[in-house]
Amino acid sequence: MASMMRSRLLALRKGLFGSWWDGLITVALMAILLLALRAAAQWALKDADWSVVSTNLPLYLLGSFPPEEQWRPLSWMVTLLLLTLATALMPLWRITCPGAISSLLAKLLPAAWILSIPAGLLLLAGGLGLAPVATRSWGGLCLTLILTLMSGVLALPIGIALAVGRWSGLPLIRGVCSLYIELMRAIPLLSVLFFGQLLIPLFLPAHLEVNRVMRAVLALAWFAAAYVAEDVRGGLQAIPRTQQEAAEALGLSLQQVLGLVLLPQALRIALPSLANQAVGLLQNSTLLAMLGLVELLGISRSLLANPLFIGRYLEVYAFLAVVYWLLCTLMSLLARSLEHHLRTA
Amino acid sequence: MPTPNRNAWLLQGIGALVLISLVALLAFNLQVNLQRTGLGLGFGWLGQAAGFALGEHVVPYSPSDSYGWALVVGLTNSLRVIVVGLLLATVVGVSVGAASYSTNLLFRKLAFAYVALLRNVPLLLQLLFWYFVVLLSLPGTPLAPLGSLISLSRQGIHLAGLELSTEFCALLTGLTLYTGATIAEVVRGGISSVPSGQWDAYRSLGMHEWLGLRHVVLPQAVPAILPGLASQYINLAKNSTLAIAVGYADLYAVSDTTITQTGRAIEGFLLLLGGFLLIDLVISALMTALSRLVSWRR
Repeated sequence: MASMMRSRLLALRKGLFGSWWDGLITVALMAILLLALRAAAQWALKDADWSVVSTNLPLYLLGSFPPEEQWRPLSWMVTLLLLTLATALMPLWRITCPGAISSLLAKLLPAAWILSIPAGLLLLAGGLGLAPVATRSWGGLCLTLILTLMSGVLALPIGIALAVGRWSGLPLIRGVCSLYIELMRAIPLLSVLFFGQLLIPLFLPAHLEVNRVMRAVLALAWFAAAYVAEDVRGGLQAIPRTQQEAAEALGLSLQQVLGLVLLPQALRIALPSLANQAVGLLQNSTLLAMLGLVELLGISRSLLANPLFIGRYLEVYAFLAVVYWLLCTLMSLLARSLEHHLRTA
Repeated sequence: MPTPNRNAWLLQGIGALVLISLVALLAFNLQVNLQRTGLGLGFGWLGQAAGFALGEHVVPYSPSDSYGWALVVGLTNSLRVIVVGLLLATVVGVSVGAASYSTNLLFRKLAFAYVALLRNVPLLLQLLFWYFVVLLSLPGTPLAPLGSLISLSRQGIHLAGLELSTEFCALLTGLTLYTGATIAEVVRGGISSVPSGQWDAYRSLGMHEWLGLRHVVLPQAVPAILPGLASQYINLAKNSTLAIAVGYADLYAVSDTTITQTGRAIEGFLLLLGGFLLIDLVISALMTALSRLVSWRR
């Protein structure tokens, strides 16, 4: 133990003061870092006026959701938090819990994740005895989460279908899928969201109205699907050709070859990049603030326009940066835990 | 890849039929809706006077110029921020990527922290931060720490004779630092793709560290880096549309104003897409030429 500590310390000394030049850089960097930290602490603890955050927490969380119904989105978000914790702590409870409970939990968890989206929609929109709440009252973190989750869940199957289409030997289908993927990847997301908000209604019959949130989800999903398709295609290409030949030699049909042999492996290979896409989706949902949706960033913009909180940019943006950073980092950790689970399972 | 058989052709036929009828249905709806608004489709409006002012322009522009010219001005503004952004982001990315291989532990940790921080905060939030928090809080009277070389104020930045607007600087800073973080990852990945035996090999030959990097490591790392770099460049170009958040008159912002004024949503949208496809094509072509040059020189 002591020798390990000693070798660690020695490695640290070599890393920080390996040569006189390194030592000089280390000392200079340390000084700058300490000064910056002190200035940041001074601002955060003394100069900043956090009332713009503390008095508006319900708005950041839920937007202008009707007060008497706010338990609905709140309970959904608490459920999501519990699911996240359960998934992230999987390595822990797999060891500590008895075998039966642990395997039951492992089976229930994916089902609970899948159910969380229709449950969230039901809780937010109402129905089945719950009072309906129009989508224009949805907002804040709650809207950010539902936008990200729904578009992610839609983008995955569309993306897989596009990847399979591009992989297939059918020239026409391959051509259409390739064209779609390449075109979508070439244009800015903001223009796709613009299309979703302003142009989708032009292509639908006048009596058919799709609300703003759904239009945003559709635009985000169809955009992300093109990127998902490329990740899945990368996974498909990484599988040795012999796998497919072996499966065909066993007499499996094309659907079986794809569904039982190729796609499970391709998705496992693509998982790290798919996780990056999920983080990207969360970050990309902020662009909807530019098109009038009041998700987490949008609600902050409207708060900053309130004369009461004028000029409190730094407080609001620092708060948002922390929230987004935590969410993105949490998502990456979840993905890593899932990867680990798949590798050991 | 499976080989097509008769069923496959039937499947494709059905697919084509579904696709064609879907497109026809959407086109029919569009026609009905356009008739209802009384607009129709056409590009004649491009010649009409735009009537709006643009915050900045590198080519001559006045509100009496046409919509078409306003869009060209938007395109040049986009190109300006993209080209400068590409160069600066490459410098930042390569520096941070190289720093993650430094012998100094603190330097390495800082490089990782930079990437972890910048990549996990949305770019739009970063842009708003640079604009509203940093640049707009500069004093109204110019600050000149280095005499006439550079002067900073809320109205803009003067750098060695160049006049840069606050909006341009905010967009450029945000795009550069964010893309720099993603490029750093690409650079790090490229360098780590060179087997560690290669480093040991040139060191055991007694080659100087710089010579080894230049003649052994980089010739292998650069071809691995270029494709990733190309896609980051295209990402930067696409992300430059966030200009509208800080009020910089790029192609997207001008298209947005044009569409609002003329109601020509479909045509304006098509022109916007055309502009971006062109930018992407130019970047891809240049990067392909660059990788050919690199592989040819090897």
